[in-house]
Amino acid sequence: MRVEFRVCLGAALFLGIIDLIYWFTSNDDAGTACLLFSFFAYALIGSFLFLQWRRRKGIPRPEDRDDAEMSDGAGEVGFFPAASIWPAGIGIGAVFLAIGLIYGVWYLFIGGVFVIGSLIGFMVEAEAREEGPDDPGFPAVGPTGPDPETRAATPGTSR
Amino acid sequence: MTLIQERPSGPGLYSEEAEPLTQIVPGPRPRGVVKFITSTDHKQIGLNYMVTAFTGFLVSGIMAELMRTQLAGPDNHVLTANAYNQLVTMHGTVMLFVFGGPFAFGLANYILPLQIGAPDMAFPRFNNLSYWLYLGGFLVMMSGFLTNNGAADFGWFSYAPLSEAIHTPGPGVDMWILGIALTGFSGIFTAVNVITTVFTLRAPGMVMFRMPIFVWNSMVTLFLVLLAFPVLTAALALLWCDRHLGTSFYNPVGGGQPMLWLNLFWFFGHPEVYILALPYFGVVTEVFATFSKKPVFGYKGMIAATLSIAGLSMGVWAHHLYTTGAVLLPFFAALSLLIAVPTGIKFFNWIGTMWQGVLTLNTAMLFAIGFLIIFLCGGITGVMLAQPPLDFQLHNTYFLVAHFHYVLLGTTVFGAFASIYYWFPKYTGRLLDERLGKLSFAIMFVATNLTYFPMHDLGLRGMPRRVFTYPANAGWTFLNQLATIGAYLLGIGVLFTVINVFLSFRRGEIAGDNPWDGQTLEWATSSPPPEHNFEILPPIRSERPLWDANHPDQLTEVGH
Amino acid sequence: MLLIVGAREPIDDLPPAGAGDRCRKDRLVGALSTGILADWGSPHGVTTGDRLVRSEWALNYYIALPLAAVVLGGIIWCVVRYRARPGENRRARQFQYHIPIEATYTIIPLILVAVIFFVAFNNENKLTHVSEHPGLVVNVQGFQWGWRFTYPNGHQELGSVATEPSINDESALPVLYLPAHETVQLDLVSDDVIHGFYVPAFLYQRDLIPGVKNQVDFNVTRTGKWIGECNELCGTYHAFMRFEVDAMPKSKFDAWYHAQKPNSITVAGANQQ
Repeated sequence: MRVEFRVCLGAALFLGIIDLIYWFTSNDDAGTACLLFSFFAYALIGSFLFLQWRRRKGIPRPEDRDDAEMSDGAGEVGFFPAASIWPAGIGIGAVFLAIGLIYGVWYLFIGGVFVIGSLIGFMVEAEAREEGPDDPGFPAVGPTGPDPETRAATPGTSR
Repeated sequence: MTLIQERPSGPGLYSEEAEPLTQIVPGPRPRGVVKFITSTDHKQIGLNYMVTAFTGFLVSGIMAELMRTQLAGPDNHVLTANAYNQLVTMHGTVMLFVFGGPFAFGLANYILPLQIGAPDMAFPRFNNLSYWLYLGGFLVMMSGFLTNNGAADFGWFSYAPLSEAIHTPGPGVDMWILGIALTGFSGIFTAVNVITTVFTLRAPGMVMFRMPIFVWNSMVTLFLVLLAFPVLTAALALLWCDRHLGTSFYNPVGGGQPMLWLNLFWFFGHPEVYILALPYFGVVTEVFATFSKKPVFGYKGMIAATLSIAGLSMGVWAHHLYTTGAVLLPFFAALSLLIAVPTGIKFFNWIGTMWQGVLTLNTAMLFAIGFLIIFLCGGITGVMLAQPPLDFQLHNTYFLVAHFHYVLLGTTVFGAFASIYYWFPKYTGRLLDERLGKLSFAIMFVATNLTYFPMHDLGLRGMPRRVFTYPANAGWTFLNQLATIGAYLLGIGVLFTVINVFLSFRRGEIAGDNPWDGQTLEWATSSPPPEHNFEILPPIRSERPLWDANHPDQLTEVGH
Repeated sequence: MLLIVGAREPIDDLPPAGAGDRCRKDRLVGALSTGILADWGSPHGVTTGDRLVRSEWALNYYIALPLAAVVLGGIIWCVVRYRARPGENRRARQFQYHIPIEATYTIIPLILVAVIFFVAFNNENKLTHVSEHPGLVVNVQGFQWGWRFTYPNGHQELGSVATEPSINDESALPVLYLPAHETVQLDLVSDDVIHGFYVPAFLYQRDLIPGVKNQVDFNVTRTGKWIGECNELCGTYHAFMRFEVDAMPKSKFDAWYHAQKPNSITVAGANQQ
């Protein structure tokens, strides 16, 4: 985590300095505001990472250690959902929303239905997945698959 | 379908007790069109991105050929003024927002998780969503051509107040605004996704300073996306309000300031140039290292150069605005000139990577070398244009057009083609045909110079950009004809690669997992990689783990 | 390949028909006597800014050419010398860092860039300098799609395009009459969209932005006629938004100026019909 937050905070520092110089030497508000935005964006990411690092009390993750073995990362890596139709639904809805902004209310309505419906689907899908492997339509645990109990005990973080 | 990943408990690659890295709960595996639409696999999404982006490249290339046809002679009337302006605008827009950036996002999607040993991107469904927003943006943007007044026709940087409703009415402009906004959102989502992936999903031992340069460059690029695109989206929202809600942010009639748009747009626009260039710097770095059979020379210097290019690029936007007389010249001149230093470091590091290497001159390597030479020309003219006294002379002339085409063709097109030839075996398991590839490279390299070199001279002779015709007595005819011939040749060169991809996709020579004796982790898995990428991983002890595993007697020398 | 740029005709040969041959000869003699490098890259300008711009060009070529040669030479050397030959069984040395070399190619470019910056800064200040007491102030207004040049007595030279004329027809272009050898200040304004005031022979341009008052000074050192252009895409007939600059000797200019009635308007091309 150290390198990550240093990169972000370093960039924030650089942008902050640039912004100060720019602010005092030019009288352009737009550029100053944009640079200030950049400074805050990097500072936000950097300080979040810094807090994460603090929370780990500086103990490096396996990917931060020079000498880590593959086995040091053993355990669950994350939850990776399989195919999903909902992102495409949101995409189509977004296109209709865009056209609706140009040609009027009806397209906005269609787009809204698509986007909201797909968003609901998106979230319900994630919920269903968190509940475990017994999704109807997703049967069969493969021969190498871990047994259901382990999985139920360690629900992944859903994205 | 839940999927839980376990790292193996064994010591790693080439040991007998290695266990499978991933354990996948089987579920339905969609194929064909359904897979294209629904897949959350980073590799499928990466390919979707790249194919769509390349389609955009071809569409935009056709627009360019039309424009060159119009300019083939003085007082020519192949296109009307309006049609020409639309093509100018959409050529730029599609090349930048549909080809240049997103092709790199596609590469980042496909290659980056493989190179850091990750099973997928951090947010797979989000990833799919950003593809759909991008495709939607592309379609919305292009459908401007179907409207009554045609597509947007004010140049890709759409200077207000020309882009205001009183000067350019019609839905084509709104299509342009919303299309770019959609691709912008897609870019922001991709940025969040890639950065999170790099920060959280690296394999054990893959510390930040062991990541391949391509990963570093992609990550830094997407940091720039994260800063630049929100500003653009905000600026576009204000423009839309001006056009439809009666505000006047940019409209001088209502007390608005055109300079506001210029500043906001270029605050996005200049980082955008590096968004287009940096990932391809990463691509050629990988190509040089692999085909020289050496580590990247000055690895840490390379990363420092990338970071400083990115940092400086946030503070140079107004070098596009020297001639407005309303910006702080020395500030922007100093920072713009400073960018030459890290870029120079990269050049010397690339040469250092090849130095004393064993160079395999196949098509990918040739494209990378073509990249170096063409980008060198663009870089030198870039330093010239960064100096206000010369910019006062050259701004918005064909010299500028030559400069940025040298830069963007050099980096984006040659870089993208190098990446196609380099990673095609990974995508498909088959090699591209070398003879067709080398022919394609030779034609493209000659044609690029034939097209764009005369444009320097045209600019010095005072030909402004974006004019749809020119008088016969200006002395511009011959050079324009050269450029037009070059443009046609360039099209033919690109076509050879397209044919090559189509032929080799089914009939190409079988490549095997690691055809190039690669150094980085993407070559440690099968071609194409299985779902969730790796069965086993070699231990990661340097920035080229696979090379260390395959050539334990040729480790990187320590010292100096 | 940069040589090709040098071997080009100067731009000021083109517009004044008939004067070309003499100019070319002058230029050749000048180039031989003052050093060829200084003439590379840019055509000769016709204002006092010419010297500054071309000194900038010369500096660039002195720095850029050797640098380009080094880099290009390095690339070609690597490709030729280190390419894998068939049947060759060579191993590459696996070195990665060489701090002295890396420091060298960081510091030398830094110095070069600093030199370029200070020269550019100096030149730019002189080029953008606006005189307190110009000999003549002309208000230049660009509009869609034409130009209006307003002189201090209110006389206007006007020319505009509303349909698509032949681009070869230069008789209907508005003319900006200027005295030579005198500092002329142009107030560049626009009421509709952004335009660009660009005379290639002046080696200088400036945008006309609604809401921004731009002033530029020119001191034309020769008499002659040159074509100027709008250099910022401003709509459909952007390509036709051209004008002519006519620099006359001071006496001739004064005679012309006093012949114009105050607040009169001359529309370009109107008297031909």
